[in-house]
Amino acid sequence: MIVSFAVLTILYLVFLSVLAYVGLGAIPIALIAGMMILAQWYFSDRIVLWSSGAKVVTREQFPELHDLVELIVARNNLPKPRIAVINTKMPNAFATGKSKKSSVVAVTTGLMEMLDNEELEGVVAHELSHIKNRDVLVLTLASLFSTIAWYMMQFGMYGGMYGGGYGGRNRDNGGGMALVLLVAVITWFVSFLIIRAISRYREFVADRDGAMMTGKPVKLANALLKISGTMKRIPTQDLRQVEGMNAFFIVPAISGSSFTALFSTHPPVEQRVKKLMEMEASMS
Amino acid sequence: MLFSLSSGYITLETKLGLKVTGRCALTFKGVSGTYFYEMEQDVKRFLNSLNPEFDLAYRIVTDSYGYVWIILEGKRIEDLLAGLTAVGDTVEEKGFSDQILAAVFEFSSERQGGYQYLIYNYKRNNFYPFVPAGQKDRSTEQEMQIMAAVGDEMPFEKDMTRWYPMWDLPLRSRG
Repeated sequence: MIVSFAVLTILYLVFLSVLAYVGLGAIPIALIAGMMILAQWYFSDRIVLWSSGAKVVTREQFPELHDLVELIVARNNLPKPRIAVINTKMPNAFATGKSKKSSVVAVTTGLMEMLDNEELEGVVAHELSHIKNRDVLVLTLASLFSTIAWYMMQFGMYGGMYGGGYGGRNRDNGGGMALVLLVAVITWFVSFLIIRAISRYREFVADRDGAMMTGKPVKLANALLKISGTMKRIPTQDLRQVEGMNAFFIVPAISGSSFTALFSTHPPVEQRVKKLMEMEASMS
Repeated sequence: MLFSLSSGYITLETKLGLKVTGRCALTFKGVSGTYFYEMEQDVKRFLNSLNPEFDLAYRIVTDSYGYVWIILEGKRIEDLLAGLTAVGDTVEEKGFSDQILAAVFEFSSERQGGYQYLIYNYKRNNFYPFVPAGQKDRSTEQEMQIMAAVGDEMPFEKDMTRWYPMWDLPLRSRG
């Protein structure tokens, strides 16, 4: 989902840059940009469903999944979203949609195989929270601001260029373009990081709200550990055996560096599990 | 480090309903040799001398991995902690500190039934939970609950991949 949106964003940034380059004014470009962003938001669910290969399923096809979703929405007074299934071994889930009523919750067949009922409930509630909190809109708005920032900067540069004209206009123009490009890339990069940070924060919020919906934070924590493969890494081998093999100190600590953390859309599983377990502890 | 349990056990009881059973143990790798034998005798002498003033009973068991277990039973957690610390000191004084593997504290659960454990790893100087569920299974969920309850008030192993289980603990059997 994130990849297809990143590609789309780059595409329309390139397109608008071309428009600016051929000499279209600021106001028409702003209008076109606005329309494109509106279209992206309007078609977001279709784009996501299409790019992920998710198929909307009926109650007859997946009765248990429908029951599970209905139970959560009924208990929390939410409209029932459409339900989609992706046929892949990879355990994953997502939610999309521009309004609470037209939204879709999608899960993979791999996810349904891996998790037990309560864990699946936790994941679905997490996705329903994304819908409830209008996270698709939040992220679209966030990218809208980054696009606006991009154009303000570009027009500012062009304006500056025309204003401060020395004699050799051609040489100035070349240097100006390079500078515009450089600042544009920096603007894009910074807004990219900001969008990712917002996304990570929204994940924490969806974890919390989803756990409130089911009342079982520990089940979502379990699901996260299973999906991430952490559950499999919890040892079953006896401490005395491990100590005997002297393998105890060779095992490397697997933890992501803060550098990769900047780029990811989701916070690390350990942090999410920790927050969920703190919730669990305060509830019991 | 071990003494952080003297407040941690209250949290476990109030938050999770876990009760100290009064059984705990220290385990170290057994080796053959006179020095090791002498050390064992010292430990025994020490524990025998304690008996009247402290309310502690002890048992020494060797398990199938060749680990020696000093198992203590008592009513007050302070006595158990003091006893285990003193035994650990004796083992270290005789030059066997590298042999010490872990201390184990037993809890009983009213809600789930069965026994749950905190294992103190002497190499890492921290605690981690172990909740056996059946022969070779464990309840990760309950273990995470324990971490959530006392993970911040005690030196705790946050890396779950280091939560090595200890199956068939000899705290209640003859090993």
